Amino acid sequence: MFLDLGKIIIFTICCCHLVKFRIFSQSLLLPSIFLRSVAFAIFAMIALPLQAGMNSGFTQLLDAVVRIDVRKVNFEKGTKRLNCCIGSGAIISPEGLVVTNAHVTSPKAVEISVTLANLERVSAKLVGWDHWTDIALIRIDMDDIRRRKLSFNVATFGDSDKIAAGQSVYAVGTPYGLTRTVTRGIISNIARPFEDSCGIDGYEVGTFNNWLQTDASINPGNSGGPLVTEDGKIIGVNSRAYIGAENLGFSIPSNVVRRVVDGLEHNGCMTRSYIGLDPGVLQDLEDFYALEANTGMLINGVDPGSPAANAGIHPGDVVLAINDRTIDGRFPEQLAPIQNIIASFPVGSTIKLRVKRSSQVLSISAVTEKLESHVGEEWAFEKWGLSVRKVSRAFARENQLADDSGVLVIGVLSDYPAAKSGIFCGDIIIKVAGKTIKDFADLKAIYEAYKKNSQPTLIEAKKNRRISLHVFKP
Amino acid sequence: MKFFRAFLLVAFIPVSLTHAETLHKLLEERLKSIVVVEFTIEAEIESVLTKAFGTVADDQGTIILPGASVSSMVPASQLKEFKVYRPNSTESFSATYLGQDALTKWHFVRAEAKMLPFLVPVTRFTARNPVPLDLGDELWGISLRNKDENFIPCVFSSRVVLIPNLSNKTAITAQGVAGPGLPVFNRAGEFFGLAENSLGKKFFLFSARGGGYPVVLMNFDESNMVMLADVVEPWFKRIPKNVNGRPIPWLGVYGFQLIDPSVAKLLKLQGQSGGAVLSDIMEGSPAAEAGLKDRDIAFLIDGKPLPHFRPDSAVIRFVGQEILSRRPGDKMRFTVLRGLERKDITVTLGDRPKMEREAAHRYFDRLGFVVREFLKADSIPNLTKPDEHSGVIVRFVKPNSPAASAGLEPNVWIRKIDGNEIPSYHDAVTKLAAIETNPMRREVVLLASCDGKTEVLRIKLDSTCLSESSKK
Repeated sequence: MFLDLGKIIIFTICCCHLVKFRIFSQSLLLPSIFLRSVAFAIFAMIALPLQAGMNSGFTQLLDAVVRIDVRKVNFEKGTKRLNCCIGSGAIISPEGLVVTNAHVTSPKAVEISVTLANLERVSAKLVGWDHWTDIALIRIDMDDIRRRKLSFNVATFGDSDKIAAGQSVYAVGTPYGLTRTVTRGIISNIARPFEDSCGIDGYEVGTFNNWLQTDASINPGNSGGPLVTEDGKIIGVNSRAYIGAENLGFSIPSNVVRRVVDGLEHNGCMTRSYIGLDPGVLQDLEDFYALEANTGMLINGVDPGSPAANAGIHPGDVVLAINDRTIDGRFPEQLAPIQNIIASFPVGSTIKLRVKRSSQVLSISAVTEKLESHVGEEWAFEKWGLSVRKVSRAFARENQLADDSGVLVIGVLSDYPAAKSGIFCGDIIIKVAGKTIKDFADLKAIYEAYKKNSQPTLIEAKKNRRISLHVFKP
Repeated sequence: MKFFRAFLLVAFIPVSLTHAETLHKLLEERLKSIVVVEFTIEAEIESVLTKAFGTVADDQGTIILPGASVSSMVPASQLKEFKVYRPNSTESFSATYLGQDALTKWHFVRAEAKMLPFLVPVTRFTARNPVPLDLGDELWGISLRNKDENFIPCVFSSRVVLIPNLSNKTAITAQGVAGPGLPVFNRAGEFFGLAENSLGKKFFLFSARGGGYPVVLMNFDESNMVMLADVVEPWFKRIPKNVNGRPIPWLGVYGFQLIDPSVAKLLKLQGQSGGAVLSDIMEGSPAAEAGLKDRDIAFLIDGKPLPHFRPDSAVIRFVGQEILSRRPGDKMRFTVLRGLERKDITVTLGDRPKMEREAAHRYFDRLGFVVREFLKADSIPNLTKPDEHSGVIVRFVKPNSPAASAGLEPNVWIRKIDGNEIPSYHDAVTKLAAIETNPMRREVVLLASCDGKTEVLRIKLDSTCLSESSKK
């Protein structure tokens, strides 16, 4: 039961500096002069006919695609570690805004470096990220650009709603860090649903948008690079591919990207509304629910304590209309757009749902809350050898916790106080030194005091409602 | 010097010869205390023939089987056709299942009277004085081969290599020393103890593909863990009064996490080396009624400190045994620390609520699953109140059945059938039976819940299923 797509192995195509990659990159990037000339010859063979058939828009696009090198801090195993990661991006404004993937660069990035088409490197800063759509926006250091008199091209967006399956498209990016790589394919599907509840470092992705599916070859490092039409218009941002499959790539449609970029540029984040419905597909159940043709979205679950639960919506109900707008959620690809209708209301809106329960049709109103991820803020308390994540409201609801106090243990370093005290990953630390951890600042304050004057500290932890006590000893 | 060597040789030969002869004689006698018990577990769609070793506990033909020989989930009504075999023979005797004891987890079986002349209780070999236990002691025991080999005995012997600090005195031998559930003897042939499930041994497994990884191997035929006679013998008398071993004393505390000495020190538990944090106390249980609360730290039981056993699970087992060795209505005094306050709380033990194997259940062949009633204990994983009895729990899903195709899985909580609430087990069974027998029915829609997530499942039915099952 409860099988979802998340169980199928998917790789996000940001290319991390793993050992495997190093071996690969060494063999591909640092070959002999002979190999370089062979590579150039191959490039020329591909690029020349391509250019011949391409208009100037495409050439301009090529000069707007950049390689992005990111150093991110990771709070794993009780320490802060820096990981390196390579992705792609496209410059979308003369002010130096670059669109890429949220899994390439996030608020955890400590250093972002952008390699322009002319092989000049400039640093960049994160403007904002939105893991729900896997979009991040960075801004390159324009002062540096001006000082060094560097130039770049700006890519333009196309209309992803006008794309048809079968249309030729090109993926441009820096797979495995290889600069300026173009692969060609077609649009395989224009509305592929794909949702992963922990697809981006544990963050949710794909709840509010469908994806463009393409067979243009997408490899690790292509992440964040544009999917373009022949005239060089961005119609998608390449994001992920199935491992082991033959060219099953997914891109975020440009119309979604533009909306998110707009929000990130002006507010630094995307704000969405939430009422707590977990929808399911209605296909084959229309008769059972005695529904009129092509209507309704099945409610598989309702988050406990959410606005929908408080308003009295039950699992098994069918939502027929939202604010009198009839909805059709029979098939998987129809769910994300409906979820997006709810998410697009301003936070605090009252939305009216027409709900079918058995033979009754009810009108239920719910006031939306601000959407939150189940992943809370993360931190590593290195002297304790303890990595934690704040219990968020969404996490508390998912796990039926009484409230959102406490921090979830996401890593311990062996032979450090946390590990020695018998704390494990998955424990929730509720109280430290007699103080309930309501938010992160509480714990940070206790930790600072411990650093100055290390005293045995009493910890109260919880796992599956079982309470245990531990001592962090200096 | 030569003479001395010759003397040694002469001196030793008769001794070892005598031992071999004695062992042979000892074995002959003791074979009458061990049997093989064969029985059938008749589940919904299949019957499984099961075999377990048994030890003869008394003169009435009472035989004890290890707890692991039957899963505690299996209802007694599914245990059928008990047969008892002697070593070296395939002649079977019928037997009656007496039930499972909650404290020892043993299953008790009684052989028919006709078999009594062939049986000798193992207590016949009990030593007059308590058997001493020392490292290096030589022990021996018996296991029996399979039916196709006439249940011929095989003899094992090994030495005690470890005496762990456990609540029940136990010895670990270097190698397997007897079949699990069978008696172990010392050199003199005195009843030394009962072989438990074997202790796992660590190995490193290398594969041809390269690399190796650590594994733990357990020997199911020969056990190297022996619980001592003075622990197990008094338990031989715990013959269950009914198949479910009722009455069973009940406390109602489900979370019992030990604290280590450093925590005890920080909490200033004076003079106490340890304690346990209580949590998951079931509403309405004896513990809750008496006033025990989440976060209470229990450090004395009836005035006695919690023992210091390793691993921690041994202490938890000890507390479990402390409860189970009493009777409902008995009192148990917990001294707890609540905040900075020390409290004495006396709990009057209750009778354990219905267990899974006692739950009413029914199989629906056309749908392809078994439902059982929602029990108080189900309120713990499903985070509900123990008295909310709505819905039923799926106990079994038939492979390839309509229910299996719809994605229904065991242990799922069914909360609605065809969109209607299920106020009771009876109501669920009535609804499902009506669907099962209605040939016009093409589907049933369930609202199922698991780990706090709910899902609407549609089970598609077809008429051929019905005709096949009605033929049956």
